Amino acid sequence: MPLLKRNAPQFFVFFFLVAMAVATLFVGDMPLAGLVGDALVRLFMNGVMVLSLVPMLSAGVGVNYGLPIGLLAGLLGMCVAVNYRLGGIAGFAGAILVAVLIGLIFGYAYARVSRRVKGHEEITGLFVGCSAVFIMCFFWNVAPFTNPEMLWIIGGGGLRPTIGLESTFGKVLNDLGTFNVGGIQIPLAGLSFFGALCLLLSLYLHTRSGRAMAAVGESETFAFFSGINVGKYKTIAVVQSTVIAAVGICVYAQSYGFIELYNAPLMMAFPAASAILLGGSTGKRASVIHVLVGTSLFQTAYVFSGPLANSLLVPELSEILRVIISSSIILYALIYAGEGKSA
Amino acid sequence: MKRINLAPVSFLALFFGGLFFSKMSVIFVLNEVITRFIRDAVLVLALVLPIIAGMGINFAIVVGAMCAQAGILFIIIAQINGIAGFVSAAFLGIGFSAAVGYLVGRCLNRVKGKEMIATIVIGMLANGVYQLVFLVGYGTVIPAHNREILLSTGKGVRSMVDLADYRNILDRIWVVELGDVTIPVFMVLLVLAFCSVVAYFVNTRIGQQIKAVGQDTDTAEVLGIDVNRIRITVMILSLAIACLGQMIYLQNIGMFSVYTAHGNSDIISAAAILAGGATIKEARVRHVILGVFLFHSLFIVSPQAGQHIFGNAALGEYFRSFVAYATITVALILNLGTRTVPPMQTKVKDQ
Amino acid sequence: MTSVLRLERISKSFGPYRVLKSVDLVVDAGEIHGLVGENGSGKTTLLNIIMGHPAIQESGGYSGDILLDGRRVEMKSPQDAIQAGLGMVHQEFALLPGLTAAQNIKLGRENLHPFARRLLGESLAYVDRARDRAEAGAILRRLGIELDTSIKCGNLAVNLKQYVELAREIGRSGLRVLILDEPTAALDREDAHRLMPLIQKLACQGIGIIFVSHRLEEVLEICHRITVLRDGEVVADLDQGDGDLNLDAVARAMIGRSVVEMKRKGNSPVGTVFMKFQDFAVDMPGEMIRNFSLEISQGEILGVAGLSGHGKLALGYGLMGAYPTRGRVLVDDRELDNTCSSKVLAKDICFLPDERRCSGLLLDRSLVENIVFTAAQHKHKFLRLHLGPLSMINWKSSREYARRSVEWFGIRCRDVYQQVGQLSGGNQQKVCLARAVALEPRVLVVAEPTRGVDIGAREAIFEALLRINQERGTTIICVSSDLADLKQICDRIVVMYEGEVFAELSSHSQDVEFSLALGGKRLADNAAS
Repeated sequence: MPLLKRNAPQFFVFFFLVAMAVATLFVGDMPLAGLVGDALVRLFMNGVMVLSLVPMLSAGVGVNYGLPIGLLAGLLGMCVAVNYRLGGIAGFAGAILVAVLIGLIFGYAYARVSRRVKGHEEITGLFVGCSAVFIMCFFWNVAPFTNPEMLWIIGGGGLRPTIGLESTFGKVLNDLGTFNVGGIQIPLAGLSFFGALCLLLSLYLHTRSGRAMAAVGESETFAFFSGINVGKYKTIAVVQSTVIAAVGICVYAQSYGFIELYNAPLMMAFPAASAILLGGSTGKRASVIHVLVGTSLFQTAYVFSGPLANSLLVPELSEILRVIISSSIILYALIYAGEGKSA
Repeated sequence: MKRINLAPVSFLALFFGGLFFSKMSVIFVLNEVITRFIRDAVLVLALVLPIIAGMGINFAIVVGAMCAQAGILFIIIAQINGIAGFVSAAFLGIGFSAAVGYLVGRCLNRVKGKEMIATIVIGMLANGVYQLVFLVGYGTVIPAHNREILLSTGKGVRSMVDLADYRNILDRIWVVELGDVTIPVFMVLLVLAFCSVVAYFVNTRIGQQIKAVGQDTDTAEVLGIDVNRIRITVMILSLAIACLGQMIYLQNIGMFSVYTAHGNSDIISAAAILAGGATIKEARVRHVILGVFLFHSLFIVSPQAGQHIFGNAALGEYFRSFVAYATITVALILNLGTRTVPPMQTKVKDQ
Repeated sequence: MTSVLRLERISKSFGPYRVLKSVDLVVDAGEIHGLVGENGSGKTTLLNIIMGHPAIQESGGYSGDILLDGRRVEMKSPQDAIQAGLGMVHQEFALLPGLTAAQNIKLGRENLHPFARRLLGESLAYVDRARDRAEAGAILRRLGIELDTSIKCGNLAVNLKQYVELAREIGRSGLRVLILDEPTAALDREDAHRLMPLIQKLACQGIGIIFVSHRLEEVLEICHRITVLRDGEVVADLDQGDGDLNLDAVARAMIGRSVVEMKRKGNSPVGTVFMKFQDFAVDMPGEMIRNFSLEISQGEILGVAGLSGHGKLALGYGLMGAYPTRGRVLVDDRELDNTCSSKVLAKDICFLPDERRCSGLLLDRSLVENIVFTAAQHKHKFLRLHLGPLSMINWKSSREYARRSVEWFGIRCRDVYQQVGQLSGGNQQKVCLARAVALEPRVLVVAEPTRGVDIGAREAIFEALLRINQERGTTIICVSSDLADLKQICDRIVVMYEGEVFAELSSHSQDVEFSLALGGKRLADNAAS
């Protein structure tokens, strides 16, 4: 029974997935292979952002609802790359490099705020992230970018809300080394990039520093008596999360083909949070496995619900279901964590 | 002992700055603010009790707003018009709020300490369910009695529904013109009546218990107060007030965008009450009245100010969104922050 | 006299831990009944059961009967207890800081405007604040306190809070039994003395009073009977009438076994003094050390005893810098910098805290991870690829070391990958010791090493501590509330009283000397009086 209770969201989404797959078969002429390929693309496309939640969860700072801060760093990085018309792999690498540098600065500032509200990092992070999004809205409007592809065609002044990447580094990872197995397109470069990041992070968690961070997350007093500077490791975790999130949005945008500015990053933390919680993270501890399992389940469910919604002539259905499922998962995790505490 | 409350003062300063740059007439702004006041104050009022009960800002007031909208939609579907329709919509909405409020309260009792994030997630979940019911359910599960609001696909409610029948149904009662300033006296009195009811309620035995729970749940429990029951009561009341607030809001606007009307009501209301001087842990009815005036006056002038300063009205819009979120952020940091973080905190406890 | 409150065979377990074992307690009307016991003896749990504290229900309730005026009552919630006429003055104050003194005193019993009450009922009637203030003031005046009752409780001085708390309880009509949990802990001596006649007056009105205090002289002064709890059992029920109510008897009952087989065979050769505490003070809430001055020699085992609240626990916490400290600690004549816990560990000083489960172990992790954790962080042991903070943990050498430790300490576990949270208390303590030993510390400070550990495992922990001391020459400072434990292994024992070193005794000293010292008295004083 406890297994069922603890893992209710996983069971639910899994059955939802199976039901959807069966329905897809019945509806007929569904390009199953295409859907699987889509799911793979969405796995690495969203996976990096989900991965970015791991350091903060490990260090006991909670779910990073301030994810937009990292995303903004990534968007800045990409805008710089596009502005200098850096194309292809070089453009993508350049974007990531700038994104990481800005992510370090943003992350440190975010960590300073986060340290002040011990125990309330999640709600504060959420609003710090939202505030940052609107500050950056200002910036997008006045930033001295010069590439006309990025600017409003008429009226001058300010960046467009969506910037196309086809002339620069759009889909570089998606197209590189993609091969076909039984009709399923396998995006090798994208999956390898995501895999490499997962591997690096999981190696880090096994280093001396990574163990110390995990100890801080598990028991601050234990860490203190083991001579660990609790504040330092929380700062490291926040900076790491922010930097990985910055890389994450670069991966997402190149796959999507557009940079989305202004309000776009506002609500991106919730799907990522529900993915990792769906993967089995309790909100106190997280591992790379949780990221992989959660993102695969979540994105596959989303991909499969699309055609079904279309066949019902209500195209909004899949988005509605995504919102319902993701918020239910987060709510369930909150309630479950609350129960564990009182027992 | 009295400290000057910085929030209202800084909002006042921002407003005067904005007013100066926007070059708007004071009369125009005043008229607008009065309209916003009668439109939004009751929604903001819904935040008072949860803050007093120590549950922080109740972002789930959007759920109350959605209950009101669901009430209106069902009444429109049933095609009941005029005052009778409006009143029955209100009753239906309050019925929904009570039921949902009970569930939300139960839920929040299991996430003590993380109520705010939970109410945000509950708001999102409710939004999903609301869309599911009216965008997918109407015309499929719910019989489409009223074809006027049906989408052309034959499923779902249209995104814009005209409320001509209920438009300004309350606002038009007893309007007084004072020079160029229009004062809908009945509405102002109605809003103030709502405020007084809440203020009265805080000073009853139940109100005392709510205060006690808000101070410290453990202590309140030990003193024989049924903490969980009080918190559920507070949630039901908060959602019901929010529901009525949204009814007032919609009849004032007169047009009803089915899927977005409740949109940012939680953030705007939260920022307004904080602007009035409330904190995450303390709120009074006067914070609501002051806050709505201050926050909305800034809201009115900032697009024009943006236009004149930067030659771009959009900047003013971003500025006011920023102000709304930043107000909440600053309140969170100041109210939840620990000024000096001790190296560790362990409580020595007897078994 | 008739009994108002009678507890019969009250037992309570938290998970596998049996905290109360069939406790009986009788309180007569008008009686002041003392309840004493060390930290962890089960006092608080017993009081919580009587008052229907939610923590009791949440952890599975209690067994046994509570009889009030001869009728069996079930305490399922605080409401039940309050309805039944029980009241409690809490040690940490159950006051709401943002409410005024009057609101606190009248909470739940507010005066209401009669018109509104008739119209809207009790819950929704407007509160008559003026009458509340007047009545609250009158109750306080009965306690001999003149206070403006419109002041918020958060702004009151500590001693006034105590009176407000008392006023809330005695202002209640139908009060049958009043529990006073450490009512004098927050008061200075003068205020404490003023409280005593008030309590006696209450008792004269026929209210049964349970008086809990660590200040034994107070308990002896006003109680008619004293029940002593130890390890969840009633070990003594002393009556004023029988003439056996004296400090010695009570202290002896509290600290337990007096016949002890010495484990430490003769005094081991004690080395030179290398560590000096000079006017060391620790500001730890509830366990303050005011002045601790002591010299410690290389290779000795020092015991620190004292009743709870007298500062013995704060020693380790203060040494690590977990709470603000004053004064100096010299190690090899160099001042110890405890602004940062890693600097203390760098001096080879290691502390194992009393809160073993939450501060001494990573419960969700394996034995291996726990045992090597601190050494890997500080001694750069068990690492490979030496890349500073990015060095990888060498799981192979870690595993081998953990296996050797398991053997050396005799830790009973499935294998070294078992989660520490699944082990018994004694084995968990050994894992803590193994973790400390991996650091090869020069000084090991352990707090309450045997709390929550069964008798058999106790012996094993002593053996382990002695072996660490003998084979590695580690200096050990052992803080414990169990005097018998300390006497078994320590070369000398210092007794803390009110935050200061009160006496330094050897393990050969007589029991009576210890029991007197714990209560702040010396043999000579006792003889004189």
